[in-house]
Amino acid sequence: MIKHGKRHRFHRITQILLSVVFCLFFFNLKAAAQTVADTTAKAAANASGIEHILPTPFMVIPFLLLLLMIATGPLFYKHFWEKHYPKVSIILGLVVVIYYILFLNNYHSLLHTLTEYISFIALLSSLFVASGGILIRVDKKSTPMVNVIFLLIAAVIANIIGTTGASMLFIRPFIRMNRNRIKPYHIIFFIFIVSNVGGALTPIGDPPLFLGFLSGVPFFWVIDNVWYIWIPALLLILLAFYLYDINNKKDEGKDISYSGKIYFKGYKNLIFLAVIIIAVFIDPTVIPGVPSLAPLPFGLREIIMFAVVYFSYKKADKGVLKDNEFDFEPIKEVAYLFVGIFATMIPALQLIASEAHTLGDKLNAGVFYWATGGLSAVLDNTPTYMNFLSAAMGKYGLDVVDKLQVAHFVTVDEVYLQAISVAAVFFGAMTYIGNGPNFMVKSISERAGIEMPSFFVYIIKYSFIILVPIFAVIWLIFFFGRG
Amino acid sequence: MKTIEDALNNNLTGLYYGNRLILPLNCWLLKVIIEDDIIMDFSPGSKAIYLNETESFTEIYFKQFKNLKEAVTKYESIKLIAVEKDKDIFDFKNHFKLVVHLEDEHKVTIEKTDEDILFIE
Repeated sequence: MIKHGKRHRFHRITQILLSVVFCLFFFNLKAAAQTVADTTAKAAANASGIEHILPTPFMVIPFLLLLLMIATGPLFYKHFWEKHYPKVSIILGLVVVIYYILFLNNYHSLLHTLTEYISFIALLSSLFVASGGILIRVDKKSTPMVNVIFLLIAAVIANIIGTTGASMLFIRPFIRMNRNRIKPYHIIFFIFIVSNVGGALTPIGDPPLFLGFLSGVPFFWVIDNVWYIWIPALLLILLAFYLYDINNKKDEGKDISYSGKIYFKGYKNLIFLAVIIIAVFIDPTVIPGVPSLAPLPFGLREIIMFAVVYFSYKKADKGVLKDNEFDFEPIKEVAYLFVGIFATMIPALQLIASEAHTLGDKLNAGVFYWATGGLSAVLDNTPTYMNFLSAAMGKYGLDVVDKLQVAHFVTVDEVYLQAISVAAVFFGAMTYIGNGPNFMVKSISERAGIEMPSFFVYIIKYSFIILVPIFAVIWLIFFFGRG
Repeated sequence: MKTIEDALNNNLTGLYYGNRLILPLNCWLLKVIIEDDIIMDFSPGSKAIYLNETESFTEIYFKQFKNLKEAVTKYESIKLIAVEKDKDIFDFKNHFKLVVHLEDEHKVTIEKTDEDILFIE
């Protein structure tokens, strides 16, 4: 509320910054347009053998506009954004859809994207609703070591129920456990570890990896190629947390008794979580014999996941929903925003793939790591992952739209996908807007009465000081001079 | 003057209309949480809240919301930290953590938070 005056100033500054960004963008677009228009290159043949004309670079504007608004809306024009974001997202998405239908006659890319969107939202919504019906209460004195173990377990579980599910499930017990000594850094490290870095091992872990899986990256490729990067990164962040937490003496002298017990409510929803995990594999391309519902843009997997949404909500313990202050708003927001993101990113994906094919050797693993990471920090990491996967595949003349070509790409040279996967997931922790669960965790903490740092304080006081050095070490060890 | 204890012991209900919340009690407010807004400025110039007290109730206008029912959904609540008017405000033992639920037909129920509801002072 006191922030209001500052918000107006920020609003004005943002307007100026946006104008500058767009001017620069338009100049770059002009140059890019000439290069691309000359070739009016045709994108690589897709799975169905249809060749698509490349879209005009101007069609990237709706995508950039939407991402900028997602980044700035909740911070600088919160009430407008809260009221109008569904319309903004749908309208910008429709601009691209209409362009593809009327000017490019390209229905295939739209249908392919719709299929991916339905799979994506089915997974996220089912995890969100099923985990929202579970309540865990750890009545144990929190110590730095207990917190480290808690965060480590939650990080591992994030790979089974997703960073969204794990964040929803574990943030409340984490706050409860630390209620007598809670400080903002507890929440921030939770965001770093559970909402982001922890979920880098499986496609269920984080949305970009799931989208990669849907696009043809084999399920176990991620854990096979990322675990030895995941372990040092996670341990370093946990070590940093331990050093912060050991200096927290806030509860000293308080005489509080703990039973040491762990209370758990909502067992039914564990079954629903298990159903979701099994359903991930129910796909004709994963298990031969699973019936395909083509040409419908969804399959058996998505039907099961949406059924879980319905039944896990209907059957959930109402007391748990009340204690968790369950609300559909966060998942509604993701559903609306990603309709726009998925639609508007189609031209960006195709253009980046085409440009990467031209740039070829200039792009090494380090470039992919920092570029994917840098954008994942301030934009959403899912489209960023797809854009850079598209670019990396473009180096080899392969198309991200074709599942077989994606599966082939991961066998060509794993370092690019490794860099993109790690960066997309890890760097999502850099800001509140880097990954969906970050904002959810912030919101839950604020609803609990914890005053969280502002967008910029989060970055300057925590991300730059803790994450950037760790990510630089990861780059030096695993990606420097490779590719 | 109605106390917090009176309201809790007698299950007194309040009212809400639009952005106006009417609580059947008198108290000192220390903190109000609605959605993810933490409000601690209760001064006359506050941009978030306008407070009005009568002999038998306290009314709170949430200036940044048009309709409380739209902002606070079925399983959500408005949380308050409040102190009885005649008690020592500086003693943390006198701080009540209250949860306000918006029910149908403009009715408001008030309860003390239990262990399961997250509420950090």
